[in-house]
Amino acid sequence: MAIVADTRGNSAFASMSYWRVSGIGYAVPALLLLLAFFVLPVLALLLRSVLEPEPGLGNYAALLGSTTYLRIFLNTFLVSAVVTVLSVVIGFPVAWTLAIMPRRWAAVVFAVILLSMWTNLLARTYAWMVLLQRTGFINRTLINLGVIDQPLALVNNLTGVTIGMTYIMLPFVILPLRGVIKAIDPAIPQAASVCGATRWQCLTRILIPLALPGVAAGALMVFVMSLGYFVTPALLGGTSNMMLAEMIAQFVQSLVNWGMGGAAAFVLLVVTLAIYALQLRLFGVGRLGQQGN
Amino acid sequence: MRRAIILAAFAAVLGLPAAASAADLVFTSWGGTTQDAQKAAWADKFAGQSGINVLQDGPTDYGKIKAMVEAGSTTWDVVDVEGDYAVQAGKAGLLEPLDFTIIDKSRLDPRFVTDHSVGSFYYSFVIGCAKDAVGACPKTWADLFDTAKFPGKRAFYKWSAPGVIEAALLADGVAADKLYPLDLDRAFKKLDTIKGDIVWWTSGAQSQQLLASAEAPFGSFWNGRLTALAQTGVNVETSWDQNITAADSLVVPKGSKNKEAAMKFIALATSAEGQKDIAVATGYAPTNLDSPALMDEAVRKTLPDAQTASQINADMNYWAENRDAIGERWYAWQAQ
Repeated sequence: MAIVADTRGNSAFASMSYWRVSGIGYAVPALLLLLAFFVLPVLALLLRSVLEPEPGLGNYAALLGSTTYLRIFLNTFLVSAVVTVLSVVIGFPVAWTLAIMPRRWAAVVFAVILLSMWTNLLARTYAWMVLLQRTGFINRTLINLGVIDQPLALVNNLTGVTIGMTYIMLPFVILPLRGVIKAIDPAIPQAASVCGATRWQCLTRILIPLALPGVAAGALMVFVMSLGYFVTPALLGGTSNMMLAEMIAQFVQSLVNWGMGGAAAFVLLVVTLAIYALQLRLFGVGRLGQQGN
Repeated sequence: MRRAIILAAFAAVLGLPAAASAADLVFTSWGGTTQDAQKAAWADKFAGQSGINVLQDGPTDYGKIKAMVEAGSTTWDVVDVEGDYAVQAGKAGLLEPLDFTIIDKSRLDPRFVTDHSVGSFYYSFVIGCAKDAVGACPKTWADLFDTAKFPGKRAFYKWSAPGVIEAALLADGVAADKLYPLDLDRAFKKLDTIKGDIVWWTSGAQSQQLLASAEAPFGSFWNGRLTALAQTGVNVETSWDQNITAADSLVVPKGSKNKEAAMKFIALATSAEGQKDIAVATGYAPTNLDSPALMDEAVRKTLPDAQTASQINADMNYWAENRDAIGERWYAWQAQ
């Protein structure tokens, strides 16, 4: 929104139509693509959820009336929330370090982060499985060092899912955060310390508030991605903490019950949009997309 | 110049679907070592004999089959599916009837033949054990459900399919001939007693990994995967006591544009030779009754069809009828 307002205020562009200035024309191909390959299929699935096996809201009643499915919903939100918090807590210092590092070293760390993102997801998840299992590297090392006598249950449960997903989601926090932190004027914290602020005050009262839009953007991305995550929970989780995407996949692929699958997918979509709307309310679209300034 | 590049890009995009032209046959299976074996034993030979190119796709996805048939754009010509699904999908009108003038069913194991499907291979759920990791190996389903006598994690197949529920009932003392209709309440009650000790495997490869690393030193496995694991040098013990058989089937989804070629492909796949080759390569049993005679005795005796003494056949018709109801209950129980 800020961009539109600025451009309109400039006399050279004042005569241009809102249409051209806002650039919607350039977005038409992308919008058409989304319409054809996202909006229409989602609507088709939504239709199935109220038409199959018979017309009505039976699927939604079955979904929301069953304690099992509610537990899966709850678990999905719990895992997503924990992963989001951990990603931010771990990602913030990394983004910070990246922003203040000498350029050459930052490039190396950046490459490492990007490379891990570009490595095949399944390969990374299997690697975690091998590391975390009872007879895996971590447990063996801890036992050999005498730290524990019995192997820790690190996989096929909530712990495994959390570790695996946090690892995968970290770059999605670090990348937007780094942009925001880099754009903070170094003179501001300097001025603060000149005025007698302690390091801690500098961090909590200057740097963290200024970085907040980046935190919000990264956290939203991670939370929403986690809600619909499939591969990692399927491989590192146990059945008693199944996530929604796994349940949808079972309905669609294995039970071939598209009505229920559609209903579950639609509930997830509505919740996701609601969270997005809340975030817009709190932070505004301009600040969300902004990289600093 | 730039326009030419853009045009070429468009042509490339539009040309992609044409890559699987009507003349090519698309074979879909579950991936992994099994599909590799199917390609070598069936697809490559079929291509050599008929001149028809066979494309591999996968993994098998029942949602996709339904979507293709409903949309009237079936791109899979021959699909390897689970036996109970084949019965159910045949009744639901999702499959082409097979042409038994091309496919010779006279020598096929009748347990695995329907109007819409023939057995692709058959396998047994058996009790596997990593001998080096434990003092004693469970020999029966009752042993495998006995956590006092055999403490530790046990591996079971995660998806709702014939095998685990049968094992639970057998372990609980149900007589083999009284298994069907399945007493689900009793089965889940028995499964509850070991629920915390189960590690679920989702794919054959994962089951091998669990056993080889002794993450789960015993459990219920597909026999072929144990054979393959033993060949890599892992000390595996297989108990065939009350092994539970189930079959995969070959089917042709409704609306296949290569029906005749698909029938010929299935004819080759289920021939004595085709079934012998797949059995030797995978450790699963042939569905052609003439295949065993073509095999080495050493290989023969490792296959499920040599283990019929206390064998239990999972009832595909029962499962086809109750697949959805059992599935929903199964996943709800797992998630509890």
